[in-house]
Amino acid sequence: MKRFLSSVTDGSGFDIGLVLLPLAFLFVMSGLPLVYNVVMSFQEVDMFSLGSFARPFVGLKNYIDLFSQPETRPILLNTAIFVSASIAGQFLIGFGLALFFWVNFPGASWLRGLFLVSWVMPGLVVGAIWNWILSGDFGVLNFLLRETGAISGNIFWRSDPNYSLWAVIIANIWLGTSFNMILLSVGLSGIPKDLYEAAELDGANAFQRFWTITLPMMRSTIGAIIALGLIFTLQQFDLFAAITSGGPNNTSNVTQYWAWDLSFRQYDFAKGATISVIMIVFVMFASVVYVRSTRHEVRG
Amino acid sequence: MSDTFRNRLMFAVALVLAAIYLFPLYWMYITALKTGSAMFATPPKFWPSEPQWGIYEYVWQSRNMGRYLWNSLVIAFGAVSLIAVLGVGCAYVLARYRNIWVDVGLFLILMLQVLPASLMVTPTFVGFSQFGLLDTPRLAVILAIAAKSMPFFVVLVRATFMSVPMELEEAALVDGNSRIGAFFNIVLPLARNGILVSAILIFMQAFGEFVYSKSMIQAVELQPASVGLNSFMGPNTNEWNNIMAYATIYVTPILAAFVLLQRRIVSGLTSGALK
Repeated sequence: MKRFLSSVTDGSGFDIGLVLLPLAFLFVMSGLPLVYNVVMSFQEVDMFSLGSFARPFVGLKNYIDLFSQPETRPILLNTAIFVSASIAGQFLIGFGLALFFWVNFPGASWLRGLFLVSWVMPGLVVGAIWNWILSGDFGVLNFLLRETGAISGNIFWRSDPNYSLWAVIIANIWLGTSFNMILLSVGLSGIPKDLYEAAELDGANAFQRFWTITLPMMRSTIGAIIALGLIFTLQQFDLFAAITSGGPNNTSNVTQYWAWDLSFRQYDFAKGATISVIMIVFVMFASVVYVRSTRHEVRG
Repeated sequence: MSDTFRNRLMFAVALVLAAIYLFPLYWMYITALKTGSAMFATPPKFWPSEPQWGIYEYVWQSRNMGRYLWNSLVIAFGAVSLIAVLGVGCAYVLARYRNIWVDVGLFLILMLQVLPASLMVTPTFVGFSQFGLLDTPRLAVILAIAAKSMPFFVVLVRATFMSVPMELEEAALVDGNSRIGAFFNIVLPLARNGILVSAILIFMQAFGEFVYSKSMIQAVELQPASVGLNSFMGPNTNEWNNIMAYATIYVTPILAAFVLLQRRIVSGLTSGALK
């Protein structure tokens, strides 16, 4: 007992204790729910069996039901559109801004940091603001688009089935751009300056320098940021809750909102768990890509 | 083109870009001050002609914001304390050693970091309800947020501990400190700033958390401000000035803290997210 105590205060027991406690917490709070999620996706769960552990197993029924539902395909498609459009928008705008701020001038880093306010704001507040900006009759975005002649009539962003998903995408691009920009700036500042000086001496113009130095040097950063973007867009929930609630008629619904909607609006916890399992597998895959592209940095 | 001129031009362009990007925020502050009719005017006014300063007090009272914000604070403080107590030690050990177990632990933690809350909430909710945790819903939300955000905190704080030279700790051990003594007297004070910044980041996230609170807290008296904002925004609402006033009250303290600590937050964030 004494040896144990002294190991805890002054030996390897100290390290093991420090690391085991949080890992045990994470195991109970994240690991077990993960397993439980998989179990529930093979069970029949309704309001009555919610409190008991002995629920009937139904095999793959939940998965089969899920894929025979008419709304499943459009929602999966929406998710793909949402993720790819958001990542493309965030990345391109973010990269443009990062390149602009890379040109060093007084106040650049301060102004660049200011962009990050979007990242610290609660998602629901961002959603509320965009909900108002995108409103059909009185929204300021419609006004600006009309004034510049881009549209002739008002677009009902939130209630028009053709635009509802894009309403959320616009808000999400705004939300994620700053994060992309900051991370890309870090990557850009890591490129040795003498590469550019050498290229300039050799007579390469700005476009050639970008294409042959900047992009290849940024490859691992870009990979990590795209993977991070995938992870973050698949986590995006608040904007859907605040702007469209998945409507009208599921036209702006995506899997991560649908899973919650099934569980907590329709009380179909088994279906919610089933979608969660599918999406979590997908997210895990993305995060392996992310970890691999930052591997050299993670392992030091 | 002289250097000063170029610098000024770049700064001006950067200001315009920042203004465009931050326009939604400006629109929130402006809308809150508009009267009911000015809000729906076409063309919209970009400057309130008769600012309604009384709206903040009105919304604070009528929406019972004090209670909502108090709950947000309780949840955020609870989650941050739990995360800090558990996460600091974990980050320290992961920064101090280099072996296969550390790699495995880091990999697991990075994996847990990416799980979307809206997908994890289903099994967490069912599990919590079976163990009776939903009787104390705010505690349940604190636990859920802690599990969700701790990996990120560990990654950030680990980067801080990596920058503390190990020789200092070894010197303290040679001088007769125990491991606990060296940890609390030497390592922790040196990493204090990094830990504080990470904790503030986590606090901001927890302060705006929505999914878990919305799903687990049924009683209105215990709901945080994010859920309050959500229930304020009905499908056909036209009280946008009031909603924006609510959003203003909710978000301004966070923005103020961010602007004050901007440099540290940005550097802390970038060091943790990519390294």
